[in-house]
Amino acid sequence: MRLYKKEGNSIQILSSPKDDVEKGDYLLVEDTNVNRKLITQVIDVQFASVPGLLEELLRDSTTEEQIYGENFDPLGVSSHINYIQDARMLLCKIRGTILNDKLRVNSSWLPSRSKSGITKISINSLLAHVRGKEDLPINIGETKDASPLNITAHDLDGRLNIITGKKGTGKSHLSKLLVLGLVEYKATVVVLDLNGEYTGLGFSANGGGNEYSDRVHVLTPGANFRVSLSKMDLSVILKILVHALDLPGTSTREFKRIWKSLRQQGKFTLQDLGEAIRKCSCNIHVRDALFSRYYSLANSGFFTDNDEVATSFEKLFEETKADGGALIINLKDVSSIDRQIVLEYTLGNLVKLLNQWKIKSVFLFAEEAHLYLRETYWEDIVTRMRHFGLFTNFVTNQPDTIKENIYRQADSIFLFNFTNERDLETVSKAARVDSETVKSIAQELPPHHCLLIGRAVKDFPVMVKVRALDIKTMGQTRLFFTNTDS
Amino acid sequence: MELSLSSLKNIESNYLQPTKNPLNQPTTEHIEDATPILGIQHPSTIKTIPLERTLDERPVVAVDVSSIRIGETETGVLCAIRGAIVWKEKNRYRYQRIGPFPFHITEQNKKEIYKLFRNHHFEISEDPRAPSITNIQARIGNLLERWLQLGISCSAYGAIILWDGSMTAGMVDSPVDEMSRLLEIARNRLSIVLAFSKNTTLRFSGHKLTDYAEKAEPPCLLQITDFPLSSGTILLLGDVYVAKLTPGVCSFRLDIDRKVPRERGIEAVQSLLGSDLLIQSYPETLRLAHIFSTFTATEVIGIQRFIAQQYGLKIVMRPNVRRLLFGPFGKGAKG
Repeated sequence: MRLYKKEGNSIQILSSPKDDVEKGDYLLVEDTNVNRKLITQVIDVQFASVPGLLEELLRDSTTEEQIYGENFDPLGVSSHINYIQDARMLLCKIRGTILNDKLRVNSSWLPSRSKSGITKISINSLLAHVRGKEDLPINIGETKDASPLNITAHDLDGRLNIITGKKGTGKSHLSKLLVLGLVEYKATVVVLDLNGEYTGLGFSANGGGNEYSDRVHVLTPGANFRVSLSKMDLSVILKILVHALDLPGTSTREFKRIWKSLRQQGKFTLQDLGEAIRKCSCNIHVRDALFSRYYSLANSGFFTDNDEVATSFEKLFEETKADGGALIINLKDVSSIDRQIVLEYTLGNLVKLLNQWKIKSVFLFAEEAHLYLRETYWEDIVTRMRHFGLFTNFVTNQPDTIKENIYRQADSIFLFNFTNERDLETVSKAARVDSETVKSIAQELPPHHCLLIGRAVKDFPVMVKVRALDIKTMGQTRLFFTNTDS
Repeated sequence: MELSLSSLKNIESNYLQPTKNPLNQPTTEHIEDATPILGIQHPSTIKTIPLERTLDERPVVAVDVSSIRIGETETGVLCAIRGAIVWKEKNRYRYQRIGPFPFHITEQNKKEIYKLFRNHHFEISEDPRAPSITNIQARIGNLLERWLQLGISCSAYGAIILWDGSMTAGMVDSPVDEMSRLLEIARNRLSIVLAFSKNTTLRFSGHKLTDYAEKAEPPCLLQITDFPLSSGTILLLGDVYVAKLTPGVCSFRLDIDRKVPRERGIEAVQSLLGSDLLIQSYPETLRLAHIFSTFTATEVIGIQRFIAQQYGLKIVMRPNVRRLLFGPFGKGAKG
């Protein structure tokens, strides 16, 4: 391999067909004279632009059915000609330099074109250069050179991460892997499970329980996840009414008055609330507005007047404190309005508990969050709630539903395959990687392979094949043509 | 092959300076271009011979050779030659490429190489004067082409043999006896040689010979009567025609073996019309022979790499003196 050209932070390396180099590989350009090395990553492999190639190919293309023959080449010159024809140009991005064994993020150094040696470097030896103590490892899978790739739980702690890729590429699988990885280290994880995919986390593939069975709690709204008004704060019920049920300002003020009055009377049931609204001497329109919201709450099935069956969030989190655990909020078969009610309740309570330091911190995994999280939550989660200890991981196959400022603040992105240019364009707005890398590598990622970008890999984008998990697969699409043979 | 290897073994240089744009170099003397100018002293008339395509399909065989300068060493030049034979049988073209053979030619070995090459091809013992290093590349190419033509004459039977160039004899690389022998062997095996020249220097009443075919109705041959047979040592072994075989702007000088009866010669051209594909009056078999022998820029780089690797030469680019002196005005090769 020979260094050919450098422009900005891009370099081009001429490579022979024998060099086993692919997209995503790291190369070390070493100039021994100055004891300096340039770390580069291959983002595209092209044929070298060799003069006369078109003529050569046109001539060869005639040698098929109508024209055939043989070459008498006793000196074996053709092998050299083939070598020239197959010469490759590796388009690389500079990721840093190593000077006296110390890594620097600097792309301004220009190594010698004639003296530099170029070698392939394994991902793990590269990461060994940049990583310090590596405790709390989470094995993600294996790199292209078949060595295991670990990130650490610290890479997710206090961070904002995005898992994205087109449908069926393995996003949810990786998300599950991260959830269990965190639970392993006694972290508390809340999963907003839109399709009931995470409900099998506590079971192995054969259906029996697994090592996480005791720590995975599936909460299905209306079934084993019901709440009572008696344990609800005004702030939480107001969020539900305003954000999930669009209660106007005047009606909200009236509701506050009713709520305080009921509290003073020690009345906490739904029935009491309905009665209070009915008796309210307010404007008829306000009363109607309050009634319609009241019926929405009552019909959601999420509320109960029986304190014994009501779920206590505080208790649930208390249970996960010692050994960690995952609370799976199963939103499958929950209507859009009810989903928002549940979410407003859950997040409102989470913030309350975090504020009160009743829980240290929570890792939140939100699948297709745009379907249930209101606009204002996005920035709240990313900026404010992060400081209270709510660390979010967004999982989506529609990258344009996440705002640009969230990409810019993302600490790590787990990028699966995208073929759509527009999707890649959106993801490439992430501040931690150049858009060329995203566009070039992500388009060719096979299923279950992802490109790790950002802090988790110390800003050295790495391609990884996500490892398999022994868990029960849930959320599979129901098919019409299944078992048609039987 | 042995000659190629032995010439390369004497490389004592440490570097190879590749030829810049070898494909754009002015072509050195080649069989086709080597035809001397024969003045038509007393022009008579140009006679048009209309042709009719005959359906009796005959095998068509074509030969072509290319040579190219690869670079320079401290002591000489590096060049390469390659030959191609293409034959058409039953609607299929088959080819055999011979080479490329690289040669390292120095002032010391040029005579020996040329002599060995020449004696191997021609049954003559006279000691030839070796051409200059600049011309030897084309000369070696010409000798290989004659050798391949001989091979075809000896092996083909009842075929139409196509040469690239003319049937002009009496030059260093085309001794009269040898050229006559080539044609005679072909005749004895019921084959007939047709030589197509893409470029001709022959003029008639001040106009290029091929210009007279512009208004002719194809397919036809234009025959110049009373065409001189010789000029000094130069001898034409063929009857000279202008061939316009298909509609289009192109026409070519065509030499047909003079010792073949005129009618049989014309019949051979008519057979060619029925046996081969003709595009712009040029036979496809001959076109393919040219394509398969010609060097592309990729091949030149490949050969440079072969030589550099096999003989440990370092490829260096010498500064362009013209560029250094004249900057953007230092373009042309000469002048």
